[in-house]
Amino acid sequence: MRIIAAFEKTKELSYTSHLDVQRTLQRTFRRAALPLAYSKGFNPHPKLSFATALATGYTSAGEWFEVELDQDLEPTAFKDRVNAALPNGMRIVESFEADDGIDTLSKLIRAAHYELTVHFDTPVSPDAVFEAVRSIMGPDPVIVEKKTKSGVRPADIRPDILEASVKECSDSTAIIDVVGSLTAAGGLRAETFVRALLDRLHLNGYFTAHRISLGFEGSDRLPRLS
Amino acid sequence: MRKETLDPVVLDKLLSRVEKPARYIGNEWNMISKKSFDFRFALCFPDVYEIGMSHQGSRILYHVLNAMEGVYCERCYAPWTDMERALTEAGERLFTLETKSPLADFDVVGFSLLYEMCYTNVLTMLKLSGIPFLAADRDESYPLIVAGGPCTCNPEPIADLFDAILLGDGEEMDCELVETVRAAKREGLDKPSLLKRLSEIEGVYVPSFYRPVYEDGRYVCTERLWEGAPAHPKRRIVRDLDATPYVGNQLVPHIQIVHDRVAVEVMRGCSRGCRFCQAGYIYRPVRERRKETLLSQARELVRCTGYDEVSLLSLSTGDYSELHELLPRIIDDMSEQKVSVSLPSLRIDSLLKDDLEKMQTVRKGGLTFAPEAGTQRMRDVINKNVTEEDLLRAVTDAFTAGWCGVKLYFMIGLPTETDEDIVGIAELARKVSGCFYRLPKEKRGAGFRVTVSVSTFVPKPWTAFQWCPQNTQEEIRRKQQLLKTALKGVRGAELHCHPSVLSVLEAVFSRGDRRLTNVLINAFERGCRFDSWAEHFKPDEWAEAFAANGLTMDEYAYRERDLDEPLPWETVDVLTTVAYLKREWKRATEARTTKDCREGCNGCFGERCEDYCRI
Repeated sequence: MRIIAAFEKTKELSYTSHLDVQRTLQRTFRRAALPLAYSKGFNPHPKLSFATALATGYTSAGEWFEVELDQDLEPTAFKDRVNAALPNGMRIVESFEADDGIDTLSKLIRAAHYELTVHFDTPVSPDAVFEAVRSIMGPDPVIVEKKTKSGVRPADIRPDILEASVKECSDSTAIIDVVGSLTAAGGLRAETFVRALLDRLHLNGYFTAHRISLGFEGSDRLPRLS
Repeated sequence: MRKETLDPVVLDKLLSRVEKPARYIGNEWNMISKKSFDFRFALCFPDVYEIGMSHQGSRILYHVLNAMEGVYCERCYAPWTDMERALTEAGERLFTLETKSPLADFDVVGFSLLYEMCYTNVLTMLKLSGIPFLAADRDESYPLIVAGGPCTCNPEPIADLFDAILLGDGEEMDCELVETVRAAKREGLDKPSLLKRLSEIEGVYVPSFYRPVYEDGRYVCTERLWEGAPAHPKRRIVRDLDATPYVGNQLVPHIQIVHDRVAVEVMRGCSRGCRFCQAGYIYRPVRERRKETLLSQARELVRCTGYDEVSLLSLSTGDYSELHELLPRIIDDMSEQKVSVSLPSLRIDSLLKDDLEKMQTVRKGGLTFAPEAGTQRMRDVINKNVTEEDLLRAVTDAFTAGWCGVKLYFMIGLPTETDEDIVGIAELARKVSGCFYRLPKEKRGAGFRVTVSVSTFVPKPWTAFQWCPQNTQEEIRRKQQLLKTALKGVRGAELHCHPSVLSVLEAVFSRGDRRLTNVLINAFERGCRFDSWAEHFKPDEWAEAFAANGLTMDEYAYRERDLDEPLPWETVDVLTTVAYLKREWKRATEARTTKDCREGCNGCFGERCEDYCRI
């Protein structure tokens, strides 16, 4: 059977990479003595795959993955057993059995919803921040220097920004809600959005990112973001 | 005693400034948390997290010390240079992973010394903790600073840093140390009285009770400053390894570490007697665990960690007496859970083929052999009892079983070595390559590699070669070049040479005396850190540090010692006798081998044979 589940990743473990998370889950499943299905061949590994990766340093309320078991197990039992074996900083928040017809998560993913906390190096007027986000959401292209394999290139990220609004703002910190497109082929990176914002304000700063939700299509049991 | 832990907000700021913050967060699966304790031990490893977390000895001590009632043992690793900078600039102190406490708040701070090139990192850790480097500058208000690990078989170069140095197996000795310090604190004992008590523990060396004497710039003898101290503190051993506690619930790190697996220690000590090998001489006698114990430990470790690989650890796992009974059972047992079994070293013998086929059934690890030298004469000198025939048969078996790569370890700069021995390395690689290509195409894999890995011989104390000069760097470079040329045209050969410049400093500190403590501090102040990392190693600063103390590296690395010359490390007693080492040196010069001591006693413990050999 195939289980689809989501875990949260909190501050304690935000510094671990996607590969670290993958290893942690595999070891956790083994500690939980789950009836895992393995790939064939000389190097058998559990059939575990993720909807998408979470950047190192980000926290998340719901990262979705799927795992294949070779015996039936109640999805709630799956959740409880895994939670008992997960280190502090990760916790399964949802789990269900995948319907037979459902495609893999990485094919169904469409969007991601972030809460970005931007800390400015120098004081800023909140009005300017509101205005900058409004202008990003305007009709014009949003050109950002994007790192690619062949070097740094200007790119228009506007098509990838689905929604953006300022939730709170002081003269040092802004909390911004952003929904960006996200598919296996790519999508909005939170850091490029922040780059665009800081460029418009002619400021420097740093940010922390929290992924509130992923958005999918093709199944009623997975969250949607539109 | 202060009880300050690092402010979480400050910690976050520090973490945001370093490349690998996960090194400093702790909170791993199986980390021990304690609410009530009256004694604190900081187990320190003077290298980065990924290396320190891989150290089996630290895993054992973490378990053994935390199993003591009222004792909380926490971990601390050397901060990488970015974290050192961040801490210094923020005016913050280095902290343990468990409770984020500064080292100065502990009762005992213990360092594991696994290699000489980590010594500057010990200073980094003390400096970032506001603890004076020299034991003489620390009163009762500071923690007791101690060290253990294989480097302590010559404790002299770092002797002035430590209040006490622990020689040999730590499982029992460390607990006795903790009990002694705990009792002393309860009684309000002053430091000199505490040190006297510590020196009564078998295995503990208190450097301040001994003063080395130099004449004409050379070490001549050691004076005992307190009559009650043992004349030669003796290395401690655990007698019944099978009954000795192991690692408990091993920590599972959040990030990948160097040895990212569980390991069962099948035995301690090695019976082979390779003459260059310090570990072979200082971990004697061989003590084994029963295979039933190992099987249940492996099962339990996999259960509590979730790791998918078990390694069978020892100096020479191929020599474990029940290996051919253990291997099939452990492989079967583990393969049910898709757990692979790996051996860090293989003995080249006739049963190898079956083992290789077994190991194939789970996951395929790399295959490594260590002939150590290229010609039979040279191998006889170093007492590496491997013949070319053995090796070629073993690699042919491996290639037939599906392996298509093999790594061969060699040393250059060995005593009595000639150019013929260097060219012999290439010849051996050529024959190994031939074994692969002689197999019919359908029977062999693709992408063949024979990796020739060459390190520079470092003469080590307590070995048959402890009197020998190291080859100069120029000579090593010439030999490396010679080998490179000789390897041309060998199909699939790849040469890796360890940079010789690092080996000189290693040679100096291996056979150094107490005058090196000041050199070490001087080098640290000149910015030397992580000296085993080529990108950090600063040879010019080291040269300056030696010059500033009126010493030269050449004297320590390149001078041949007289067989009857007093040697600084003879202050301690590692149980293996100097008389035996002299016999071994003589046989080496005659290219005569010495048999494995399982086949009959070679008398390495001298008069104390009854006490230590037959346990």
